[in-house]
Amino acid sequence: MRYSPDLLAKSPEPVLVGLSRTGNRDAFAELVRRRQTWIRNLMRRCSGDAVLADDLSQQVFLQAWRSIRQLSDAARFAPWLKRMAINVWLQHKRRNDPLRVADEHEASDSTHRDQAGMAMDLDRALGTLADDVRLCIVLSYHERMTHGEIESLTGMPLGTIKSHIRRGTKKLQKELSAYAVIAEEAT
Amino acid sequence: MSNERDPKLMALFSQAEADLDDVEFAHDVMRSIDGERRKTMFIWSAFIVAACACLALFAAPALTAVKMATSFLPNSLVSIEADWLQQLLAPVNSVAAAIALGFLVLRKLYRRLFR
Repeated sequence: MRYSPDLLAKSPEPVLVGLSRTGNRDAFAELVRRRQTWIRNLMRRCSGDAVLADDLSQQVFLQAWRSIRQLSDAARFAPWLKRMAINVWLQHKRRNDPLRVADEHEASDSTHRDQAGMAMDLDRALGTLADDVRLCIVLSYHERMTHGEIESLTGMPLGTIKSHIRRGTKKLQKELSAYAVIAEEAT
Repeated sequence: MSNERDPKLMALFSQAEADLDDVEFAHDVMRSIDGERRKTMFIWSAFIVAACACLALFAAPALTAVKMATSFLPNSLVSIEADWLQQLLAPVNSVAAAIALGFLVLRKLYRRLFR
C-alpha cells in the first residue's frame, strides 16, 4: 500500500517503523530522511572522513532495512539504529586498519569560527586519539551516553572506558585549547 | 559512577554538528536497497529455475534412489530370532537408527568444537 509523502512526513516514528516492518519502502525512506543527519554526523566523528562516513551510514541503513523485522519494539528504533551504527564502525575498523597508530595528525593552532571549519578541527583533534579512545569520546560527548551505556554497547570494560574518556578529554582539551574562548562564548 | 564531561568540549561537539538533511543521501540509500532487492529476486529466480531443471532431469534417478534407500534403511543391524522382539526393537535396531545416531553425535561434536 502506498501512502502520500505528506502523511508519512507527519507520522510518528513508531508508525513508520511498523510500516517499514511490513516492507513499506516509502515509510523506510522517510525514516532514512529523518535519521540521516544524526547517523552521518556520528560516523563523521568516528571516522573523521566525510566520504567514508556517508558510505558507512549507507551500510547502516541497508542493514537496518534487512533486519527491521527483528526489531520487536518500534519505539526503540533510535537506540537500535545507534547500536547498528557502532557495530558497522567497529566491523569497518577491524577489517581495514587494525594496526592504525594514533598521533598521525599534525597539531594545528588555527581555529575556525564557521561550523564546517570547526567540525574539521574537531575531527582532526579526534584523529590524534587511538581508535578505542576516540570511540569512547564520541559516544560520551557526541551521543551523551553514560559509561555504563558505552560498556554495554561496545563490550569494553568499565575501567578502560573511564580511563579512555579521561585521557581523550585531556588530549582534546590540549588540541582544542584555542577553542576554549569560543566555547565559553557559546555557553 | 562519574559521567562528568567537559562543558566546553560538549559545546564544541554540539556546534560542530552539521545539518546534513539532503535528499540525495536518502535517494542513494533507497537505490541501493532496490538494487539489493533486485539482486535477491534474481538469485531466487535463478535458484527456482535451476531446481525445476534438476527436478525434470533427475526425477527418475532420484525416485529410484529414494526407493532403494527406503528398502535399505529399515534393515536390521543385528538379526533377532523372535519376531515380536525384532518388531519391538526395529526403531533402534536398523540402518536408519544408526545413521540418525551418527548424525546426532556429529552435530553435538560440531557444537562443542565450534560454538
